[in-house]
Amino acid sequence: MRLLDFLKDKFMLILLHVFCMCAAGIFLHITGYSSSDFILIEIFWAFIVCVWLLVTYIQRHHYFRRVEQTLDQLDQRYLLGEMLPDSYRLEDKLYREMIRKSNKSVIERIHQIEDEKKDYREYIESWVHEIKTPITSIALICENRRKDNEEEFCAIELENQKIENYVDMTLYYARSDKVYKDYMISETNLQEVVYKVLAKNRGYLIRNQVQAEVDCPDLVYTDKKWIAFILNQMILNSVKYRENALMLKIYTTKQTQGVWLMLEDNGTGIGENDLTRIFEKGFTGSNGRSHQRATGMGLYLCRKLCQKLGIEIWAESAVGEGTRMTLDFPISSYLSKL
Amino acid sequence: MHILIVEDEPIIRKELRILLENALYQVTVLEEFDSVAEQVMLQMPDLVLLDLNLPDAAGFDICTEIRKQSEVPVIFLTGRTDSMDELTGMLKGGDDYITKPYQASILLARIAAVLKRTRTSDTKESTVLTCHGVQLDLARTCLKFGEKCVDLSKNELKILHYLFRHEGEVISRLDLIEYLWDNQVFIDDNTLSVNVTRIREKLKSIGVTGLIETKRGMGYRV
Repeated sequence: MRLLDFLKDKFMLILLHVFCMCAAGIFLHITGYSSSDFILIEIFWAFIVCVWLLVTYIQRHHYFRRVEQTLDQLDQRYLLGEMLPDSYRLEDKLYREMIRKSNKSVIERIHQIEDEKKDYREYIESWVHEIKTPITSIALICENRRKDNEEEFCAIELENQKIENYVDMTLYYARSDKVYKDYMISETNLQEVVYKVLAKNRGYLIRNQVQAEVDCPDLVYTDKKWIAFILNQMILNSVKYRENALMLKIYTTKQTQGVWLMLEDNGTGIGENDLTRIFEKGFTGSNGRSHQRATGMGLYLCRKLCQKLGIEIWAESAVGEGTRMTLDFPISSYLSKL
Repeated sequence: MHILIVEDEPIIRKELRILLENALYQVTVLEEFDSVAEQVMLQMPDLVLLDLNLPDAAGFDICTEIRKQSEVPVIFLTGRTDSMDELTGMLKGGDDYITKPYQASILLARIAAVLKRTRTSDTKESTVLTCHGVQLDLARTCLKFGEKCVDLSKNELKILHYLFRHEGEVISRLDLIEYLWDNQVFIDDNTLSVNVTRIREKLKSIGVTGLIETKRGMGYRV
């Protein structure tokens, strides 16, 4: 609150005083007081008004500073109604009551939405768990009959795996929510995680003429399942956007501040214009449009989950040569994130 | 080896049975779940595959019941993927925790791993395989024929290991590649050809020819 604004606000009051001072001056002049007398009275009057304005200004200034500070300190600003400082002024009291009522309804609405969201997320999760039973059945049926009709059952199995991947994306999308905490940070052997992801996609990768070199001796602290999901998305992307025979190189390097996990491919690459946007939700880019149907969700989810795990993720690429994705696992700061 | 399957989904039950029987396990399937622990004691299996979501009882409780009376290895099968569930599973005495959808090869590998871990008396696989007079020494990663000896790379060793173990059978290229992927060698079809050619050259250098036959359109045979 600035002094000038305050005076503008009190303009009518000041005008009233000026008017009254003039009227009193005229009255005293007519009734025959000496001019020195009534000038003294006028000066004294003006002085009192100034002091009163100043004191009021300081009080108000102080009050609003406190309100602003409270607002800044509040984690959830809509709780302000409960935290407004006491004031003897009637207006403050009335406003406080109104703000409190309005905030209360906001809070109720927020709770309601949070509950609905939680219900929805729980439903999605249970649905994902339900759907995994038939997916498993299909996988087993295919596996057991592979010898009868290799081609067809393999094709079904591959499609089934795609379904599984999409279902997984749904699950992790539901879990990437702010309040959800289903991760267990533990010492993780990245080599094992990479092996697991490659084994899971074995059929798909072999049929797509993929070769992989894995060299990840470094240990990191992270959640195995989440990181497997992230790697899975990255590898499937490499396969999706491959040019000729795909060569995947997955390796770790030790940095001063942590461990980098790099995934290098020799695929189409990503154009410079697209590179900054690939982690955006729903962004498909020129590759996504010209290749298969891209959902624009895979990398978006990767980054979101990475953020929750405290991992940096970025991509470097040259068109026609390939892409290198890097995950940066910090060593020193992971504890502070817990 | 006797495996007991406790799973309420009939199709999965049936397919698991086929899968495990194909892998030469003896399989018993439970269809009533009100007295699983007693059934386990009755059947005396070498391993129990236990679904977590059964109609009458929770899998975790069943595992606790089993653990009161027996040390039989238990592998949980579940569609749930929460970290907490996995932890609970381990704390309740489970030996492994496999989430649906599992791939057959992975499931079999983990069953084998648990069985191997719990059976200490298991005889170790011999480290020297012999085939038509050619010796494959797994420990020293080399091939021997008579007095001559030649070193092998990791990939070559694994290819030969698989072929030697299936002596006389025609091994399709896909089977071979899948086996290699299961053993952390991630190569494609072309690289396999290159590797086999190299193996043949090495065999030649120690005086062996025609050990690995190529069956056009089918695969390889030793």
